[in-house]
Amino acid sequence: MRAVHKRYLREFIPAMLIYMLLVYLSVRWLRSVDGTVARAAVTLLPVLPIAFIIRAMVRAIRGQDELERRTDLESISIGGAIGGFGFFSYGMLINAGVLQAPPAQSVAIWVLPVLMFGYGAVKCCMTFYYRVR
Amino acid sequence: MNNRVRELRTALGWSQADLGEKLDVSRQTVNAVETGKYDPSLPLAFKIAKLFDLSIESIFTPGE
Repeated sequence: MRAVHKRYLREFIPAMLIYMLLVYLSVRWLRSVDGTVARAAVTLLPVLPIAFIIRAMVRAIRGQDELERRTDLESISIGGAIGGFGFFSYGMLINAGVLQAPPAQSVAIWVLPVLMFGYGAVKCCMTFYYRVR
Repeated sequence: MNNRVRELRTALGWSQADLGEKLDVSRQTVNAVETGKYDPSLPLAFKIAKLFDLSIESIFTPGE
């Protein structure tokens, strides 16, 4: 593993663990919190470590070599397009009455995992493409 | 684009990882360049040429 990726893991893993812990605490804390402002503050508490996650990502992208950056760009573009158009098509199917509409919060919560999964899956394919001839 | 990177590297007894370390790129990138899957940028091509002490055009040639 190259130094840039070791540094990424060193920065990403603690920030992600803190994020997960804050999500857990935030969800538990919300049960006993009243008032819109207080509930918003508690709900958005996990956003703080996201800044460090994004910082780790930016530093990793800047430290990567040119092919790694290209692979990431292609993966984000293709994965994002698949996720975006997938959601759009899903919305059109709901609009047409073909599918039942889920709760709005479910859709909002699933956007990030779908985009991340799309990026990850496409990155595996792109890495394989550049590795195998 | 065709290139002689693999030939030059093996002549010096270097592994792809060795060359990657000298060029500050990953082993996968060295492999992709050698197999023609990826054409390096001009700065990387210059780096490769400088490392092997050759001109760029003696390492990289236009493909058909």
